[in-house]
Amino acid sequence: MLRLERRSEHRSDGFSEPSKRIPSTVAHICGLALAVISPGLFISGIVELVGFGDGGITLLVCSLIFALVGGSLWYTTRLGDLAPRTVFAAVAWSWFLVSVMGALPFILTRTFQSGAATIWIEIADAIFESASGYTCTGSTVLTTLPDLNDPNPKVGQGVLFYRQLTQWYGGMGFVQLVVTVLPALGTRAMGFMGAEAPGPTADRLAPRAKDTAKLLWQVYIGATVLMAAGYVAAGMSIFDGIAHGLTTAATGGYSTYNDSLGEFDSVAIESVAIVAMLIGGSNFALHWIFLTRDRGVYAKDHEFRAYTAMVVAATVAVTAMLMIGGEVGGDFAASFRTAVFNVVSLGTSTGFGNAQGAGTAGDFVVWGAGPLIVILVLMTIGGMSGSTAGGVKVIRIRVIGAQVHRLVARSRQPRAVIPLRLGSDIVSEKIAHKVAVYGMAWLAMMVGGLLAVTALGAELEEALSAVVGSLGNMGPAFGSSGPTATFQAGFSTPARLVLAFLMIAGRLELIAVLLMFAAPRRSLRKIRPHKHTF
Amino acid sequence: MAQTRSAPAVRVGTIHVLPRPFGIGMALGGVASVAASFVGLLLDRSVALDEMVVLFVVGAVCVVGGLALGRVQSASSRITAPMAMSMLVAGWSGATLVALLAFALSGEFESIPSAFFEAVSATTTTGFTTVVDPQELTHAMRFLRVILPWLCGLGVLVAGMGVLPVAIAGIELSPSRGLARSEQLVTNTSAAIRNISGMYLLLTSLLLVGYLLGGMGLFDALSYSLSTASTGGMSNHAASLGHFESDFIDWVATFGMVAAGGSLVIVWAALRGAWSSVLHSTELRLYASLLLLGFLGVWLIGDELSITDAAFSVSSMLSTTGLRSGNWAAGGSFTQALLLIGAGVGAMTGSVGSGFRLARAARVALEVRRALRGLLYPHRVGVIRIDGVAADEVSLERTYGYLWAHLLTLTTIAVLVNVSSLNLMGTLTFSLSLISNVGIVISGDGIAAAVVLDRWSQAVAIIAMVLGRLSIYPVLVTIAGFTRWLGRFRPHRAIGGS
Repeated sequence: MLRLERRSEHRSDGFSEPSKRIPSTVAHICGLALAVISPGLFISGIVELVGFGDGGITLLVCSLIFALVGGSLWYTTRLGDLAPRTVFAAVAWSWFLVSVMGALPFILTRTFQSGAATIWIEIADAIFESASGYTCTGSTVLTTLPDLNDPNPKVGQGVLFYRQLTQWYGGMGFVQLVVTVLPALGTRAMGFMGAEAPGPTADRLAPRAKDTAKLLWQVYIGATVLMAAGYVAAGMSIFDGIAHGLTTAATGGYSTYNDSLGEFDSVAIESVAIVAMLIGGSNFALHWIFLTRDRGVYAKDHEFRAYTAMVVAATVAVTAMLMIGGEVGGDFAASFRTAVFNVVSLGTSTGFGNAQGAGTAGDFVVWGAGPLIVILVLMTIGGMSGSTAGGVKVIRIRVIGAQVHRLVARSRQPRAVIPLRLGSDIVSEKIAHKVAVYGMAWLAMMVGGLLAVTALGAELEEALSAVVGSLGNMGPAFGSSGPTATFQAGFSTPARLVLAFLMIAGRLELIAVLLMFAAPRRSLRKIRPHKHTF
Repeated sequence: MAQTRSAPAVRVGTIHVLPRPFGIGMALGGVASVAASFVGLLLDRSVALDEMVVLFVVGAVCVVGGLALGRVQSASSRITAPMAMSMLVAGWSGATLVALLAFALSGEFESIPSAFFEAVSATTTTGFTTVVDPQELTHAMRFLRVILPWLCGLGVLVAGMGVLPVAIAGIELSPSRGLARSEQLVTNTSAAIRNISGMYLLLTSLLLVGYLLGGMGLFDALSYSLSTASTGGMSNHAASLGHFESDFIDWVATFGMVAAGGSLVIVWAALRGAWSSVLHSTELRLYASLLLLGFLGVWLIGDELSITDAAFSVSSMLSTTGLRSGNWAAGGSFTQALLLIGAGVGAMTGSVGSGFRLARAARVALEVRRALRGLLYPHRVGVIRIDGVAADEVSLERTYGYLWAHLLTLTTIAVLVNVSSLNLMGTLTFSLSLISNVGIVISGDGIAAAVVLDRWSQAVAIIAMVLGRLSIYPVLVTIAGFTRWLGRFRPHRAIGGS
């Protein structure tokens, strides 16, 4: 449990003396993040050994490395500067470090080994896969995923399990980030996360942030167990059920199969996934309040209402467009099944697919421009605040919509004092401004990312969808990187690394990543000797 | 002691101020139609005399009717912001009505909706067309397609810089910010009309001479100079300026597009010798930087594009002109992305170009920088300076609001428009091109200004072009005001009685 308190060592006489540990907030938080991953790697190693895979020992060694490196960093350092900029930078650097170090198991097990790939490309691919996992994105470069009845799978079950666990850890870390770190930074930082917005928010469930985090982790773990049970009940094996439960709760979207959930071709499994993804994309605080206090909390929450309306409207629109366009043969049932699954999958930033192969109904890369634009809009908006979903978030879009509405109203009545309203709640000007800044930063990053990825050789359509998808932590892109394909064909290795950076930026809501470079620069300037003025 | 009783205050609605600008718009459109009929009389007399008569009659009637409406005085001497915005819409509507009549009655277009699309495309200086090969049109019709954007561009400039800022204090984007009074292009309405018209004519004349020197015939040179100066982008040839295959002509057009996308206010200040103010203009710096970086990016990173093509394409998109020469789609995805972003950002404030506007883009960039600095230095009071002057927070808020409204409109158009021949990127570029009034589509097959649209998509495209040209606020405010005016005729509910 991360507690943002400076530690001091207590003596037997009751007085405390300053800690001898090195004061470094960044190293302290990075150490904790690495150490926490060690048990997951241990479990993955056991799974690999039980499944008679080749990488069991490697995964156990990786677990030990993570424990040693993480533990060393944690115990030799203590929290130093707790200014918002430093904590933001620490969080960003820890995510960055975990994404890079998290590639180690993939590298050592040679998961991305292929005839044409050099070791450097293997490393880059492993970093991409790891970043995509820990940011709950779900984009993949793994071309050797098995089919359902594959007698000789090329990737062991332990490695697959670790890959699924990266997303679950990512979701858990995000919950921790929202609840513990950001509120500790004061309101200035919280505004960027939408946590100050009206309604039930993640940091208000319990008096102490520590207790709130515990509650939300209970919801997260409980949801994971329920989702896994649901998948098993719908027909998956226990391994597949747990594996998909982990990534559904985190709205990550990694699957253990090449065709994702389309591999099962099961309406029951897709139905479980739709409900589970909607739960994962909704505010976890709402789930807790629903379970403990108020059964009508969903209906009362304006963000949830907007979120539901968005999903329903998009489903209706895509179903109608698919029927008119004939991409699914003009059949209503098939069009609806395809539309509702993909709308929910991308509207919650999960990224599962239900296509049973390239060019089939669920493969949205063969759809017309209309439904694809709807999908692109959903990828941009993402899920609710306080959930594990990515994207700009529904609440921010609502605040932005309210701003536009007010400006038009002001054009007619320039002297009128018009408060910014979300339903019956009034949003403060400070929050509205922060939301506007977030939106502008998102736009700037999108434009920069698009230019960088196209300059590195990607096609425009794929680049746009991949950049939006990476910033929103979605998963699949359009073109040759759709739901039945990987990012290998459409993007060069440097372009994939740019996308991995955008994934981390999107997961940390941009500002933290922008500060990860600015804050250390400022610290260095502080260290520089001052000129004497006599 | 006799008491003097003041006259009761008369509430004057927006609707009373609209006939005058509507009439002026009609008169401008009428002048264009009459001018086109004279051109036709000179060049098409033997083939389409009846069309010339139609154009002349429509033009003459509209000039007379427009001037008559223009004499109608408003009951109110004070013009409020909503009134001014509605006047802008009314003026444009008058010109478009005449264009519609001229195009529809000429018989050159297959249907009235097609004629309406062409009319709106011309009066919004967009440049999209339903005509695959403009050479099939008469000279009169080709001339009407270029003179209409030119006159409407002039109207938008005069209204945008000469009337609105005088009528409304503290508008969001003031191109004269940071300039001393002696350096300003617009000091009052009559000076605005005189100075703006003079500079607009000067640019057009320079382009005419340039094109003639490049080997164009007089008709083509005149047409393309009007099209370039107005950033309309309508062409007399299917391949646009690429038809001439002349680097000299391409460079003349590049100069013209850069000048047309630049602020007349800044050019005026430069002509008055106020170099200090010119060089400190934030928007001009951004414009120059984007032109230079865009050119270098397209030339160095884009594939197979010459220096001429790179300069031409960047200036065409950033100024939102939409003239074409060569196939930029062959420049690769980076070139396409760069050009589309340029078209989205658009031209300078105080120019006839369209798009989101560089002044707004600068404010957005400065706001992001201020927010980051605020996190690094929490106790620091951040002030955004535009042209050396601190920007007020209310106008900044309007800029952000406009950004969201712009993006929302773009997304809605992209979802609603349905062009079967276009893929996802084609649809997105088409939508962006509509709202930025660029007038070309970049897709995998190449670039084009002619698009085949069904009735639904034509309607969506027309609305998009209007929203792009007149800005989103004026259109929404006018619609809201009109709805309110209509609401007055609703029977009131009885309160507290049976």
